[in-house]
Amino acid sequence: MSILATKETHVVIQGGVAGVNAARRMGEFRHMIQQPLNVSAFVYPPDAGKTNEIVCGNRLLTIPVYKTVAEATANHPEINTSLVYIGADRAYAGTKEALDNSGIQVVSMITEGLPEKDSKLLGAYARKLGKVFNGPSSIGVLSAGECRLGVIGGAFDNLVACKLYRPGSFGVITKSGGLSNEIIWICSQFADGVTTAIGIGGDAYPGTDYVTYLDMFENDPQTKAVVVVGEMGGDLEERAAEWYGAKKRRIQLLAVVSGFCQESLPKGMKFGHAGAKEGLQGEGSARAKSEALKKAGAIVPDTFGALGPAIKQTYEALVKSGEVTPIPELSEAEQPKLPRTVEQGMKDGDILVAPLIKSTISDDRGDEPLYEGYPASELINKGYDIPHIIGLLWDKRLVSKQEAEIIRRIIILSADHGPCVSGALTTIIGACAGIGLSQAVAAGLIMIGPRFGGAVTDAGRYFSHAIDNNMSVDEFLTHMKKNVGPVPGIGHRVKSLRNPDKRVKELVGYVKSLDLATPHLDFALEVEKITAAKKDNLILNVDGTMAAVLVDLGFPVDSLNGFFVLSRTIGLIGHWADQKRQGSRLIRLFNYLVNYAAPARREVPPLK
Amino acid sequence: MAKVLEGPGMGLLKKWGLQTPNYAVVGSSEELEQLAQANDWLKNSPLVVKAHEALGSRFKLGLVKVGLDLNGAKAAAKEMLGRTVGTLTVREVIVSEAVDHSEEYYVAVKSTRDGADVMVANCGGVEVESNWDRVKRCSVVVGDAPSDASLEVLAKEAGFTGDLIAKVADFARKLFLCFDNEDAQYLEINPVVRNAAGELVALDAVTLLDGDAKFRHPDWTFPFAAEFGRAYTQNEEEVMAVDSKVKGSVKLIEIPGGDTAMLPAGGGASVYYSDAVVARGGKLANYAEYSGDPPDWAVEVLTDKVCSLPGIKNIIVGGAIANFTDVKKTFGGIINAFRKAKTEGKLDGVRIWVRRGGPNEKQGLAAMTALKDEGFNIEVFDRRTPLTDIVDMALAKK
Repeated sequence: MSILATKETHVVIQGGVAGVNAARRMGEFRHMIQQPLNVSAFVYPPDAGKTNEIVCGNRLLTIPVYKTVAEATANHPEINTSLVYIGADRAYAGTKEALDNSGIQVVSMITEGLPEKDSKLLGAYARKLGKVFNGPSSIGVLSAGECRLGVIGGAFDNLVACKLYRPGSFGVITKSGGLSNEIIWICSQFADGVTTAIGIGGDAYPGTDYVTYLDMFENDPQTKAVVVVGEMGGDLEERAAEWYGAKKRRIQLLAVVSGFCQESLPKGMKFGHAGAKEGLQGEGSARAKSEALKKAGAIVPDTFGALGPAIKQTYEALVKSGEVTPIPELSEAEQPKLPRTVEQGMKDGDILVAPLIKSTISDDRGDEPLYEGYPASELINKGYDIPHIIGLLWDKRLVSKQEAEIIRRIIILSADHGPCVSGALTTIIGACAGIGLSQAVAAGLIMIGPRFGGAVTDAGRYFSHAIDNNMSVDEFLTHMKKNVGPVPGIGHRVKSLRNPDKRVKELVGYVKSLDLATPHLDFALEVEKITAAKKDNLILNVDGTMAAVLVDLGFPVDSLNGFFVLSRTIGLIGHWADQKRQGSRLIRLFNYLVNYAAPARREVPPLK
Repeated sequence: MAKVLEGPGMGLLKKWGLQTPNYAVVGSSEELEQLAQANDWLKNSPLVVKAHEALGSRFKLGLVKVGLDLNGAKAAAKEMLGRTVGTLTVREVIVSEAVDHSEEYYVAVKSTRDGADVMVANCGGVEVESNWDRVKRCSVVVGDAPSDASLEVLAKEAGFTGDLIAKVADFARKLFLCFDNEDAQYLEINPVVRNAAGELVALDAVTLLDGDAKFRHPDWTFPFAAEFGRAYTQNEEEVMAVDSKVKGSVKLIEIPGGDTAMLPAGGGASVYYSDAVVARGGKLANYAEYSGDPPDWAVEVLTDKVCSLPGIKNIIVGGAIANFTDVKKTFGGIINAFRKAKTEGKLDGVRIWVRRGGPNEKQGLAAMTALKDEGFNIEVFDRRTPLTDIVDMALAKK
């Protein structure tokens, strides 16, 4: 048995992130006692219609979010309790909404800083309706083995350490959230643990006071003793003392009160919870409260530290009288455990996971990326440049200074080729249509193919084929004509022998000036001699030149188009930014640029 | 609770239809001179000048002067402004019109668990404090207002007669309206006096408002005053500034002359730690508290201030078993500040005592224990050591 939060408690949580966190803690508790989650719904207007994901055991549950408490209870009629996690300025209205709902009997509020008047009004309203308003500033309510409302009890390890998976014999009522947990721990170490622990909140006028809960505990046969942790200020402890002394009670009351330090502090200096304020006429001091409780027959240790032994003594007396039978302890192996995550299992070394992908070039798990094992910062500091990174990530090797210089020149030469070519034009049309950088640039990149910039890989492949098979230029051209068609890398739309491509001349001239074996480039130039003789514009184009040089440098054939894609991306980004900067308008083709060769207008035949 | 100084307090009373003497809050005698050119009462009436600061015993300190003319008031203002009392400098004075009267009364409204008590006495000033039995009260349930009839009964009970019954009842009715609508926790008018025209005037007021209700009072543009009769120190103000910015809370109150520095977690546990220090005969150097899983940097700021307290011998890093405050993370902030304080020599001869539990307690406590290797004089205990035993150990070991 327990009070307030029981096996029959079903919860709606009013609020956002903090409420979701609380639900997750409640999910851990339910897993510990092997019960399904008791959070049925959330109420949070900004997220209405969505769901929150709550882990319970090894399952991920989706809990709906509603706009109003009424909607939540209409869809989940089992709801009888609300937890309020709403900001102080809206908490009054939210709590009132819950109290007005006929299905809800208990409302517990964690919100801090609720105006005192609101708290008093809500307390009075709940009492009028015969309901319970717990809080504000309440850490929550926990009934061992049954139900947890809020984050009270802390982390899962602590729930287990405090044996909260099964009920003990002690009730706990505190104002302080941290101390509720401390007392739960003490009860589990010095006695057999708790039945229900309630945080009533540290405000001056909690919605529900000690007396109401003492009455409930008195009527709960499982609870044999109750520990009250009081504070100076107000008269809640005096009222508890009055209740306890009024007649013979079944439960043993133990209490401590804080605030003795006030006696020796400079006058007027007060601290602690909002409610910890001595009255203007000196009433409500820690000493007055302790005396009142002692007089009423409660066990009141002099210090907080003496509370443990006092609880132990009480427990031993209960065992001796036969009222309490000691509960056998669970061995470590029998204690509840949280399902382990894959990460934890792998860390512990007893789980093997088949990887989904394999990467052999880079690693992001440290404090900076490693390219082929080399830290990026070290590459920078030792003078390496972008061509070296291309070498590492595309071909898994550190290229030489000479190779890097060739790559650098290739990038410079092919970075852009004006607005008219397929790629740039497409990007410009995209920019004029108002689409974003990555989409417009991607649209330009899509144009790269067999007819525009995409011949590098193919050219490299066929030049390699020729060299690998020791073909003569004639044999090669025959082979190409028979099996492939036009030679990739040969031919230009506008450039010709008489109007040579300066880029090609520049690159060839530089490479040939180096002490470097260039069998592929030499072969390509030989091919050009034959083809250009046949037709003026069948010259070695920039694709073919890049291909031959890069194959000479040893880059894999499949990576070759990448050099054009990479270089031209620089230009495409420029074109997008250029149009954006100008604020260019949407463009479309003029009719006169289209040859309308479709059939003339005619009648549509009837549908058959 | 938030204390409000006399000026804004009087403003609230006027707002709810209660008569107050003419008054002006000024920051210089020149300002008073300017105001006198527009307000005849400053030229024609006897004046009272008081330091407009959160100070107790202003009379004894010479910060209240009565029976002055304008020149006298200007001189008094000049003399008071800029004076320092402890850590506080007088920056404003309130100048009010003296009200000629023969009798003084007392009217107050006080928050109670069930609502409020309206309190009335037919004596006032210091007399009411020595005749507390003459104060009669009428309880009002929250959400209700006292009826005119019940207030008249109260006034009669308190010994008022004749036309004063209706006047006192009306005064109490308006004071209650002010209390209820302004989210007050305590309003005390002492004395209430009767002026020459026979009207009741609120001469002096204690105004305590509920600071938590500030969000629904856009006209609360005045600052709240420190509640303990002194101004906040710079360190306290810095911690308050952090507190207002972060999730959770960090709090600091400095107590001059103590040698046991407090750095405990939790609004509840922190007071038990303070009790333990006092019970052991120790002297608190401060009160501090952090809770609600504040960010590590906020706890670092708080720790920095605690380490800077003069003459400390022990630092008590206590705490119960946290529900959701991350022990590892918050201890990370404390450790950062400890390291800084150590290099600045602030921890020379200071012993540190740690006891804590809660989420990630193992890692947090291990990090604290590791400070021993860095030469800190630190003792670390876990949940198995009762809450305040570290205080016993700290103060026993001489």
